[in-house]
Amino acid sequence: MNILQVEGLTVRFGGLVAVNDLSFSVRTGEVFAMMGPNGAGKTTAFDAIGGFVQAAAGAVRFEGKPILGLAPERIAALGIRRTFQNNGILREMTVLENVLTGLELSTPSSLLGVVTGWPAAARAERSAVVRAREMLEQMEIGDLEERAAGDLSFGQQRMVEIARALVAGARLIMLDEPAVGLSPNERLHLGQVLRRLAGTGITVLLVEHVQDLVMAVSDQVLVLNFGRKLVQCPPEEVRQNEEVLEAYLGNG
Amino acid sequence: MTLSTTRPGARERDPAAAARRRALIVLLALLCLLPLAVNNYVQFVVNTMLVYCLVAVGFNVVLGYLGQLAFANAAFFGIGAYAAGLSMVHWGVSGPVGIALGGAAGAVLGFVVGLPALRVKGYYLAIATLAVGELMRWVYVHNDAITFGPGGFSLPELRLLGMTLDETLKYYVFLFVVTLAIAATSLLLRSRFGRAFVAIRNNERAAASLGIDGRRMKILAFVWSGMIVGLGGALFALLNGRVSPDTFGLSQLLMHFAIVMVGGLGSLAGSVIGAVLLTAAPEVFRNLPGLEEIVFSLMLILVIFFMPKGVGGLLSDAFPLLRERLYRRP
Repeated sequence: MNILQVEGLTVRFGGLVAVNDLSFSVRTGEVFAMMGPNGAGKTTAFDAIGGFVQAAAGAVRFEGKPILGLAPERIAALGIRRTFQNNGILREMTVLENVLTGLELSTPSSLLGVVTGWPAAARAERSAVVRAREMLEQMEIGDLEERAAGDLSFGQQRMVEIARALVAGARLIMLDEPAVGLSPNERLHLGQVLRRLAGTGITVLLVEHVQDLVMAVSDQVLVLNFGRKLVQCPPEEVRQNEEVLEAYLGNG
Repeated sequence: MTLSTTRPGARERDPAAAARRRALIVLLALLCLLPLAVNNYVQFVVNTMLVYCLVAVGFNVVLGYLGQLAFANAAFFGIGAYAAGLSMVHWGVSGPVGIALGGAAGAVLGFVVGLPALRVKGYYLAIATLAVGELMRWVYVHNDAITFGPGGFSLPELRLLGMTLDETLKYYVFLFVVTLAIAATSLLLRSRFGRAFVAIRNNERAAASLGIDGRRMKILAFVWSGMIVGLGGALFALLNGRVSPDTFGLSQLLMHFAIVMVGGLGSLAGSVIGAVLLTAAPEVFRNLPGLEEIVFSLMLILVIFFMPKGVGGLLSDAFPLLRERLYRRP
């Protein structure tokens, strides 16, 4: 069953066609990676799916529902979360507060309840804290709870971002170059986390430059060049693909 | 996680939280006894401090927590004072109703000022909101029939439960309003709403990706800020017994800004400390003409250079227990 279906997605910036007639579908519970040289349109495709840039044409369906044109917070409400290429961390907030922010939509405390200290609202707020702490434990970063997120290493920040994306029970998470700036060890850990997620039925859509990570964790790889889909196949076949070798790895 | 965390009373077992709670109760008790120890003049100064506590706390919500360069604070303050004062003069409402109307008027103006903040930010928002302050002053000056024009107006003699509202009685009214307002603001900031404000300040795109509706949250912050500062304005009208348009200009705004900066952006305790310090400073140096301004400017410069996070930031760095969190401990 396909959790995400993209059909004919096209994004233009002025005269530039950043994403050109892109179609693919992602099956539930798989790790789906998008690769491609710089400027191939990977992040733009991400942004269009998440509602951060406007698409010129195409359709995107999440669990069968059309989502193209919805505001980012509406798309988030449907069960899609993402991380950002250049750090979507909330730097001045602590790790726990970052993850709590991920629970915005699943904390049913009303404004009136909150400011009057109404027990139901207080309960909702407190159980959010408990839930966020559980998530931190699951991601093995419980000891960082009180640290300001901006002070952490890149790798730790990535884990916080992923924890924050997962805490509200998202069914699709989209990670934009999560391995950038990570040490080999941290990459390995990230790969394990991604496989574990897929194992629990959470679908992972990945944009990534780091090839060893993509090859190790992906079920499907889609290669983009100049906004167009070059090929989509399992990772082991990517290495043999002539077009990909030429476009992505250069004329070797 | 243990199941006991959900049991009522479990919170008390966190020794730090219990200590903080006890300290707050002692502080409130001392504040209630304060009138026994001070004369009328000091009482007036303390009442002024209470007014500026609201001013700073309200301003901080938008400037510190939401992180928007919005400078309509003197306008919120002014409309609170005018709404309270005029409703008492024209409609003969009682003090408490006047105070509530001041808060309501501030909230309405907060909503109006919040609208441009959905489209512009940074310097553009600063200029747009500064203009609101000047526009409001123009309104007060040019509507003599309602606002009594440039000269302003005096409030009728205030009575509460049959007693004349002297400085001491005012103090208790103010203390009640300020305590409630700060408690509610603190609860707001330690909830998903406060976290949304700070998330928007840190990274608006990331906030949206988490399902935070930036437009609603910004409007909420502005309305709340307007309401709290409007309440402060209403108390200010009661404090002086007079309201006039020239009080709510740029120098008023500068005072508000200085208090929040000295106290620390994003710190409620800091806002209270800032209000106390900057209200007290001019009074302490009142008898030394010229020194008042020098001390005021010096304090600002020192803070900007040596403690960019203000007194509140300094305190929370020194005493981790005092760090203000954006959630309530379970």
